[in-house]
Amino acid sequence: MNLSRNWKSKAILIALGGATIVGAAPEAHACGGAWYPVMMEMPDVDYRQEGVPRAEKALDEGRVIAAAGIVIRQIPHVKQLAPKSAKIVERAQRVLALAVVRYDGSLPIEAEVPGYAQGTWRGKTADQRLSNLGWAATVLRSVAELRNNDPASETELAEALAKLEDHRTEARGLLEKLASKDLITSPEGYAALAQLRAEAGDESGQKLAVQRCEKMARSVDICRTSAHAAG
Amino acid sequence: MKMRVSRGAVVMMAALGLFGCDRESQLGPERRTQGARSALPAASPRQTNAAIHRVGDPERGERLVAKFECHRCHDGTTQSAMADEKHCAHCHDNIVSGRVHAPADVLHRWKAKTADLRDVPSLTAIGARFRPEWLERFLREPHDLRPNLIYSMPRLAISPEDARDLAAHLTKDAGTERDTSFESASTESGRRLFEEKSCGHCHSFTGTDAPGPRPSLTSASAAEADRRAIALAPDLRVTRERFRRDALVAWLMDPVKIKPDTRMPNHSLAPDEARALARFIVETPLAPIATNKSPALPPLLDRRVTFTEVQERVLGVTCGHCHGNANAFAGDGGPGNIGGFGFAPKRLDLTSYTGVAAGYVDENGQRQSVFAATPDGTPRLVAALMARHSEESDSASADVRGMPLGLPSVPLEDIQLVATWIAQGRPR
Repeated sequence: MNLSRNWKSKAILIALGGATIVGAAPEAHACGGAWYPVMMEMPDVDYRQEGVPRAEKALDEGRVIAAAGIVIRQIPHVKQLAPKSAKIVERAQRVLALAVVRYDGSLPIEAEVPGYAQGTWRGKTADQRLSNLGWAATVLRSVAELRNNDPASETELAEALAKLEDHRTEARGLLEKLASKDLITSPEGYAALAQLRAEAGDESGQKLAVQRCEKMARSVDICRTSAHAAG
Repeated sequence: MKMRVSRGAVVMMAALGLFGCDRESQLGPERRTQGARSALPAASPRQTNAAIHRVGDPERGERLVAKFECHRCHDGTTQSAMADEKHCAHCHDNIVSGRVHAPADVLHRWKAKTADLRDVPSLTAIGARFRPEWLERFLREPHDLRPNLIYSMPRLAISPEDARDLAAHLTKDAGTERDTSFESASTESGRRLFEEKSCGHCHSFTGTDAPGPRPSLTSASAAEADRRAIALAPDLRVTRERFRRDALVAWLMDPVKIKPDTRMPNHSLAPDEARALARFIVETPLAPIATNKSPALPPLLDRRVTFTEVQERVLGVTCGHCHGNANAFAGDGGPGNIGGFGFAPKRLDLTSYTGVAAGYVDENGQRQSVFAATPDGTPRLVAALMARHSEESDSASADVRGMPLGLPSVPLEDIQLVATWIAQGRPR
């Protein structure tokens, strides 16, 4: 019993001593054999303020996956945030949502984002792709509400809605209204309109939308998709 | 020998919002001069001025100073100057003086663009010097008053009543102009004084044979203070309409006493010398100045033009300074987006492809495309750029406000680029 008690006491003392050393460690660093206390506090740097504009630029230049990668790497939990929580979040979510829409809910980001942060963005199943598109539409609707009366946001929302079967009527309504005032702000918007018109049997309207898309787009590929799908 | 603005500079300034109440124009040196001259009014008898002047409401005028944000560019109003980042001249001065925090390379670039955009005439003692009827007319129909200043009084949405009340406010403590006779003064003496004191070193006196020298901003010997004084010096052609005669004599004798922040030096003129010089300035015959015709838009280019080129050469250089992105990290979008200078928010963002394509909000709150055709078929964006040329040629359009506001017009070849881009379907 005594032996055992002594052993336990020693163990407790050793443990406490160790804890003291470990606890003290953060207070000082070894550098060149000298010890100095950590006095400086690192400033809080919000890297999103640099990253999100970079992502927006990439998206604007047509580097969609790079744009999505920047957002997911910098804000891995971006999906859980509400757009209204901060303007920078709203902007980040807009970029990612558009990327999701333009890749039909399945982002090939394996080269851009480490595995632990990929979540369901790669959209390996139909359910995941649908869920991603649904999230994107929700985000873009929220952004359009926040930026009230903004044709750019409305075009992007319509682009997302056009990918969701239950929302195509709303998408076409939005795009037709914008088109009537020459306010569709992207070739992708015209591509979506072309597809919606084709699905509604409006062949001449589809051709017109494709023409507008092709004039605006850097690459006519994004316009052919619509025309092809319609055909 | 005139200042040629780097259009980049224009950018810098403009945005924030920009200019308050005094206008000028660019183009090349020659064109700018001609346009400016043509915009000058011919001298008219004092009686005519007095006849058209009506008594205004100075209290309302004071509120209008705030509404039109005269204090965004001018010092010397009854309003406190706007915060530096929104005050065109202060912001530019801070940049040039290195008081703005920015990466070194960015600051270097900004400095080069803003060096000649630091001066806007202050409104100190404006009522003690100028006739209210001239002020009223100038506010409604601003013209090129300072040929060597890049800024010019912008054409704001000032109604006749607004102009009357603003003038009443700005001159409210001035008292009535006293009859001042120059009969005993000699015009020839005044002319000699004009030459001896080198008035022409800073002042243009267009339409006259006033003796030299002539203002020169490019002279290697021109010190910075000199350059800034030259930039602010009005064309003396306008003085006979603009200045109260009683104030002109006092001004010539001791300008600093009347307006402590003036760059006009005190030449220690005796009263009879001041009267002689004043007489020379207000009575020297003025030759009419040929009016420039508004230039025509050159034909469209036969090569592909992308938005990247349009942005690099035009929109990103000049327009985005006022018509910015309100959702960007820094800045508020500028007065051309969120409103300012008495204008309601247009929500026009000319800094990105989608921003341009998203158009602007009209007076009814409806979005309109900047590409929509005006009655003559010209896209509105192009029409606004061309309208600035017309304003410089003294033929302002009632329907389209010239852009850039209060800045030199965009060169025709750059407008041609924009027009071509639009005609090609606005390729990205």
